[in-house]
Amino acid sequence: MAAPRSCALWGYCGRGWSRVMRGCRLPGLRSSWPGSLLSARLLSQEKRATETHFGFETVSEEEKGGKVYQVFESVAKKYDVMNDMMSLGIHRVWKDLLLWRMHPFPGTQLLDVAGGTGDIAFRFLSYIQAQHRRKQKRQLRAQQNLSWEEIAQKYQSEEDSLSGSHVVVCDINKEMLKIGRKKACAQGYKTGLAWVLGDAEELPFDDDKFDVYTIAFGIRNVTHIDRALEEAHRVLKPGGRFLCLEFSQVTNPLVSRLYDLYSFQVIPVMGEVIAKDWKSYQYLVESIRQFPAQEEFKEMIEDAGFQKVTYESLTSGIVAIHSGFKL
Amino acid sequence: MVTLLRGTLRPLRLFQALPGPAADVPLRAASQGTGLLYPEHIPTSLLQKVLLTAGSAGMALYNPYRHDMVAVLGETTGCRALRVLRDQMKRDSEGAQILQERPRISLSTLDLDKLRSLPEGSLGREYLRFLDVNRVSPDTRAPTRFVDDEELAYVIQRYREVHDMLHTLLGMPTNILGEIVVKWFEAVQTGLPMCILGALFGPIRLSAQHLQVLVSELVPWAVQNGRRAPCVLNLYYERRWEQPLKALREELGITDPPVHIKA
Repeated sequence: MAAPRSCALWGYCGRGWSRVMRGCRLPGLRSSWPGSLLSARLLSQEKRATETHFGFETVSEEEKGGKVYQVFESVAKKYDVMNDMMSLGIHRVWKDLLLWRMHPFPGTQLLDVAGGTGDIAFRFLSYIQAQHRRKQKRQLRAQQNLSWEEIAQKYQSEEDSLSGSHVVVCDINKEMLKIGRKKACAQGYKTGLAWVLGDAEELPFDDDKFDVYTIAFGIRNVTHIDRALEEAHRVLKPGGRFLCLEFSQVTNPLVSRLYDLYSFQVIPVMGEVIAKDWKSYQYLVESIRQFPAQEEFKEMIEDAGFQKVTYESLTSGIVAIHSGFKL
Repeated sequence: MVTLLRGTLRPLRLFQALPGPAADVPLRAASQGTGLLYPEHIPTSLLQKVLLTAGSAGMALYNPYRHDMVAVLGETTGCRALRVLRDQMKRDSEGAQILQERPRISLSTLDLDKLRSLPEGSLGREYLRFLDVNRVSPDTRAPTRFVDDEELAYVIQRYREVHDMLHTLLGMPTNILGEIVVKWFEAVQTGLPMCILGALFGPIRLSAQHLQVLVSELVPWAVQNGRRAPCVLNLYYERRWEQPLKALREELGITDPPVHIKA
C-alpha cells in the first residue's frame, strides 16, 4: 500500500531534522539529500498525503478521524453483542489466544490501546489472578507441616493477588470507555485498572513505561498506522513486547470466498437488524479489506524499530497476531 | 482478491447489488456516491434483501418498538405492490400531480400556525389535533433506503407520510389496536406485503378482549371501507387542509368507526 509509506515520508520531512536524526529507518535516505529535491518531494506529496481511505471511500485525513469516532460512538452500546453475533463467538477464542501468547507474569505493566470495552484488560487481570492462585496452591502443597489455620489464612489473603500487575486501557472514544467501565463494575474488576482517554498516534504517556503494549482490532481504524507503531515503540520499556491482534488477509481461496460472501452479504444486514446501523458495519468489513496483509504489516512494524517481529495467522488468516520486541 | 471474486461471480447476480460501475469499482469517493439513486440509497443484492426480510420480520415480532424494522420489511418486500401503486397513481390526475411535484410532509414543510388557525373540523385542524393528542411528529419516519428505484422510493415515502393522515381519516389512535386497524385498511388499499403481514401477525400481541372487538367489528369495517374508498395515495393532502374532514370522509366513502377507541 503506497499511502502509509508516503505518509511516513511526509511525517519525517514535516517534523524536522530531530526526528530524522533519531532514527532514519527508510533506506536510501541515510545519505544527504539535496534541499531542492526534498522541497520538490514535499510539494508533490502534499496533495496525495491528505487523502486516505475510509472503508472503500476516499476521504481526507482530517475527516477520517472524525468519521471513525462517529462509527464507534454509534456502535458502542451493541459492540459486544455484535462481536459475538458476527464472529459466532470466535472472537473470544482469538482474544484468549492473544493472552496465551502474551503469557504475562505478575508485575507486568500492560498498556491496552483501543481497548475501549476492556476485553483484553479483563482477560489480563483474570490470567494474572489465575496464575497467582495456581502458585498459591503449589506453595501450599510443597509445605508439609501447616496447621489448618495457616492454610485457611493463606487462601483468604486477598491482598496483592495481582502482585503489582497493572493495565491501562487507552481509547480515543469516550463512549467505548464508558461501556468498558460499566462492564468492569459489573464483572467485579476493581483494582489494577486505569482508564485513559487518548489517541494512539499521540499517547499521553512518558517514554519507556510499559512492559507490554497490545492493540486488538484497533489499529486498522487509526489514520496513521506508522505513527501509532512509533508511539508504541516509544512507550515500551527496552525489552518490552508489542502485540497486535487484527484482521488480516485470508490465504485459502475457498475460505476467502466464503469469508467475503459472509462479510459483505451478511454482516451489514446483521448490523441493520440488531444495531440499527448498516453503514458502520459496512465500514467495518471494508476497513478489513483495506488493511495490509501479514507480511506487509510485519514490515511496517519493523520500520517502527521493533525486532524479532513474527506473526501467527489464526482461522486461516482471518485474524493474525503480530508480535515484536523493543530491544 | 475481492475483484477476482467479483469477476467469477458476475454472471450470478445473487450477490451483486445494481449492475454498473459501482459494483466493480472498490474505491468510491464519498462525495460522488456513484450508484446511488437517491441520497439515502443503500444498494443491496438479492441475498441481502432476503436476509433483511427475514431479519426485520423476526426483529419486528420480537421487539414491537422497532418501527424501523417494519419500515425495512416494507421496503424489501414491496417491489411489485409499489409498481402497481405507482402506475395507478399515474392514471389518476391528482396522483400524477403528486408524482410530478413530490410533496413531503414534515415539520419543516408544514405551516403549523396556519394549520392551527383553520376552522374546527377541517382536515388540517384535525390532523394537528391528532399529532398533539397522540404526541407524534411527522419527522419520525425513517427515510427509504433499500428500494432500488427512485420513483418507487418516493411512493413508499409518501405512503409512510400519509399513514398519519389515515389515522385522522379513520379516527384511530396510535396504540396497537388502532395501528392494526389502520394496517388492515392499508393492506386492502395498497396490497403491500408488509401491511398484509402486519395485519395478520400484529394481533398476536393483543389481549383477548381487544382481539374479539377487532375481529368482530373493526376488521370488517376497515376492510369494507378500504375496498370502497379510492386509493388514498391519490389525494393531494397539502391542498385539502381547509376541506372539512366530514366532507372528505363522505367523498372517500369512509363511515364512522363502529367502536370508539380511546387513545
